[in-house]
Amino acid sequence: MDLILLAELAVNGVLTGLLYSLFAIGLVLIYKASSVPNLSQGGLTMAGAYVVLALAHDMGLPLWVAIPLAAVVMFVFGMGIERVALRRLAGRPVVMILMMTLGIDIFLRGTTLAIWGGTSRSVDLGVSYEPLFVGDILVSRIHLLGAAVAILLFVVFVLFFRTRLGIRLRAIADDYMASWSVGISVERGVGLSWGLASIVAVSAGIIWGEIQGVDQSLSLLLLKGLTVAVLGGLDSIFGAVLAGIILGIIENVGSAYLDPFVGGGSRDLIMAAVLILTVMLRPHGLFGRTDIERV
Amino acid sequence: MKEMDNNYNRRQADAKVPPVLECCGIERRFGGIVAVTGVDLSIRRGEIFGLVGPNGSGKTTVTNAITGFYPPNKGSIYLDGKDITGTAPHKVATLGVARTFQNLALFNGMSVLENILLGRHIHMKPGVFPTALYWWLARPEEMRNREVVEEVIEFLQLESIRNELVDGIPIGLKKRVELARALVAEPHLLILDEPMAGMNQEEKGYMARFILDARAERGISVLLIEHHMDVITGICDRMLALNYGEMIASGLPKEVVKDPRVVDAYIGGAHG
Repeated sequence: MDLILLAELAVNGVLTGLLYSLFAIGLVLIYKASSVPNLSQGGLTMAGAYVVLALAHDMGLPLWVAIPLAAVVMFVFGMGIERVALRRLAGRPVVMILMMTLGIDIFLRGTTLAIWGGTSRSVDLGVSYEPLFVGDILVSRIHLLGAAVAILLFVVFVLFFRTRLGIRLRAIADDYMASWSVGISVERGVGLSWGLASIVAVSAGIIWGEIQGVDQSLSLLLLKGLTVAVLGGLDSIFGAVLAGIILGIIENVGSAYLDPFVGGGSRDLIMAAVLILTVMLRPHGLFGRTDIERV
Repeated sequence: MKEMDNNYNRRQADAKVPPVLECCGIERRFGGIVAVTGVDLSIRRGEIFGLVGPNGSGKTTVTNAITGFYPPNKGSIYLDGKDITGTAPHKVATLGVARTFQNLALFNGMSVLENILLGRHIHMKPGVFPTALYWWLARPEEMRNREVVEEVIEFLQLESIRNELVDGIPIGLKKRVELARALVAEPHLLILDEPMAGMNQEEKGYMARFILDARAERGISVLLIEHHMDVITGICDRMLALNYGEMIASGLPKEVVKDPRVVDAYIGGAHG
């Protein structure tokens, strides 16, 4: 294999990895604010894509109206999940909250199937699929766009967690009791994190929907997103971005070398191996707080 | 010291100020278990009020009822004459009630300073305009917050560990950080849930000193839950003893500790 091909695999790996990061940022947001790994982030991402489609294709709104509107709708929906499903679970064992998020994921998949059916639909963002050469390397425009969105969200949220509101969310993630006792409304904070994660889900839903079409399988992004988030450290946004890049490269380059030997399908194998090895060797991930492994 | 405290009480009683905290007939159940029932207590302004009882007698449940974590099933709670029964915990905090926890509740991922700054939360009024016009609008507030925090850090002698992660410091200091976080909120009522648990004699002495000074310098009323009877009789003006969720004695510490029911509950009576 020549160097140019290797470079191309690596660069596209980075871009794909950033798309995983885009998804994983949503997971990290909720984890940072409430110490709960949100298993319904995949469902939310799929739902975000469907809401954009409903507004743009079914109601005929232009995309530049439909996307912000979908973000608002999903923000309210995310806050609603906290209000209806999670508030009564505050202070209960994490495993119950985990099961609840899994239930929400299944619920969302069922609901979208009932309303819009299971046929894959396209988003039609209008991004060209003409080949784009950077030097000798071929890159995909939609991946480039998605990577840019991921980096933008990364910057926005890093700054956000330095504001007073962001510090409040960090405090909530640390200790509910302590937060209440200093006058922080834990419920509102957790609701906000769900709202923000739902907005991230819309952006990930659009990009991934454009790439692979919108259907229920979009929610399976959770598996890759979770691997990225765990490797990055679950509560570190920077970790999620870096882990996404690392995983993207390993997956893309690794599978190109391995596939000829195993006859394809080594991508998922690589992902699974990374997830299992991370949990075994470094449970708090690359940049997570070390006490996470106690959980 | 004793002399001074007694004078303080007399002055307070003469002034006929309404109590800072008044609980009437508090009852709290968990499922079929009655954790506390029929608890009345009232704390006067500037008073240090002790709450004692064997493990499981309902002391922490009473504080959780007051602070809104577990609202009472029956009875009412008044703060400065205002009914706060069933108010959400974060709202109780904004009304001027600060607390520490028996098993500590600190923000472990943050430094000592950040933990204490978060105690100022109820005094922070963020907004779009003050933030945009930081230098003119938000800065004075920020300066004031910093001032209070620095003062408390000095008062509790936390200067040397201010930038350390809370997770790594010894438990005696953690308790002190928690007290600092409660004090910077400038509360009228401070609830201390076993602040001296697990402390040695010297650390206990320090903590008792801090509590007395907090009252003297800041006029804070204190509800103190403690197992160490020497501390209770040493610094409390009045006290209440609970057993199996019910009141068994209340009044001046030196009288309560001699009450046969209290002696019975604590060391087991010699009845046949």
